[in-house]
Amino acid sequence: MIALYLPGHSILHRTPAGVKLAALLVLALTVSLWPHTAYSLAAVGVLVLGLYALALFPPLVLLRQLWLAKWIVVIMVVTQLIFLTPWDALVNTVRVVAIVLLAGLLTLTTRSSDLLEALEAGLRPFARVGVDARRVGLTLSLAISMLPVIAGLAARVRDAQRARGVRLGFRAVVPILVLALRHADDVADALSARGAD
Amino acid sequence: MSGPLDTSIELEHVTVELDGRLILDDVTVRLEQRRIAVIGANGSGKSTFARLLDGLVAPTRGSVRVHGLDVVRELKRVRREVGFVFTNPDAQILMPTVAEDVALSLRGSGLDRAQIAERITAVLEQYGLAAHAEAPAYSLSGGQKQLLALASVLVRKPKLVIADEPTTLLDLGNARRIGRLLVDELAAQLVVVTHDLELAERCDIALQFRDGRLVEVGEPAEVVRSYRSEHT
Repeated sequence: MIALYLPGHSILHRTPAGVKLAALLVLALTVSLWPHTAYSLAAVGVLVLGLYALALFPPLVLLRQLWLAKWIVVIMVVTQLIFLTPWDALVNTVRVVAIVLLAGLLTLTTRSSDLLEALEAGLRPFARVGVDARRVGLTLSLAISMLPVIAGLAARVRDAQRARGVRLGFRAVVPILVLALRHADDVADALSARGAD
Repeated sequence: MSGPLDTSIELEHVTVELDGRLILDDVTVRLEQRRIAVIGANGSGKSTFARLLDGLVAPTRGSVRVHGLDVVRELKRVRREVGFVFTNPDAQILMPTVAEDVALSLRGSGLDRAQIAERITAVLEQYGLAAHAEAPAYSLSGGQKQLLALASVLVRKPKLVIADEPTTLLDLGNARRIGRLLVDELAAQLVVVTHDLELAERCDIALQFRDGRLVEVGEPAEVVRSYRSEHT
């Protein structure tokens, strides 16, 4: 799920991106590793609600984020109910959805460029082992930007199928892949032209 | 080393072959005009000519110099001097939001955060995009996307702007607006590849390509007239 920045003046908007990124890491680890009870699960829910309230977003924003996470919920619940107890399925689903919502809150309250800078600063110490922090940051940012583009390509292929009265089904992946690769070539040229390589 | 006023574009016996196909055939030309139009049919080699000037395509034979810099040997310096506007802005917009996409062009520019923010605000206001600064770039209309692509190029203040069919995907109003911005208001030198013959006629010089060969260089009105006569 890719949430884009929603401008605001809340304390969460003003908090430095690096602090929020570190806090997300700590919260994600805590929510994942904590041996949950009904009370701790409720606490996680209250924490997520509280943080969204702290960001001064209308409830609709949280509901939209939840709606976007619907397939994660469906897939997790269905697959886990086959192998685990209903309680374990509930705990694991709440864990994942909570982390997704918290990550969404980070991107909703932080400009991608600030997040990128924080990420690059965090990765800089790894330069000694060959990690190019700038390149990693740019790659992540590009991945975020390209998602709607790929969705647009898929819509184009779908429209072309409808216009010609054919249904390719799973085979529609092929033209989408071809368009995506062609787009990747264009993006590579644009990166070169903008001196990003 | 180029002087500060060097606006020359020189191609000497340039041939480009891609995948065994001859794309440009022995092109030699020297240009110093501020507004240079490049016309020709699809597949005539005009886009390849434009891409040569920014090092996006390397010559198979011959040499290309832009503002005194060899495009192959001094590519980094050439890229600092040259901005490239592509036909499809979707391929050029690389960051999630409008302001961030402009900011990408200023990474590594040596400007501090305040200066970068100031430049972004100024360029977005200039191109009527200030109200969309925080908007997802993909949500803009086609015309606005091309304006953003232009803003992202011009915020670096390049000395030469190359625009490869920048109005092809736009409606009449947006095409005229982009054309006006490029030909009438741009401070930098311009090379515009275009099928818009009215736009070409407003330039200082026009080049016509046919089947990979540079067949005509001269007064835009003359070159356009000759091109039109070939297609009537």
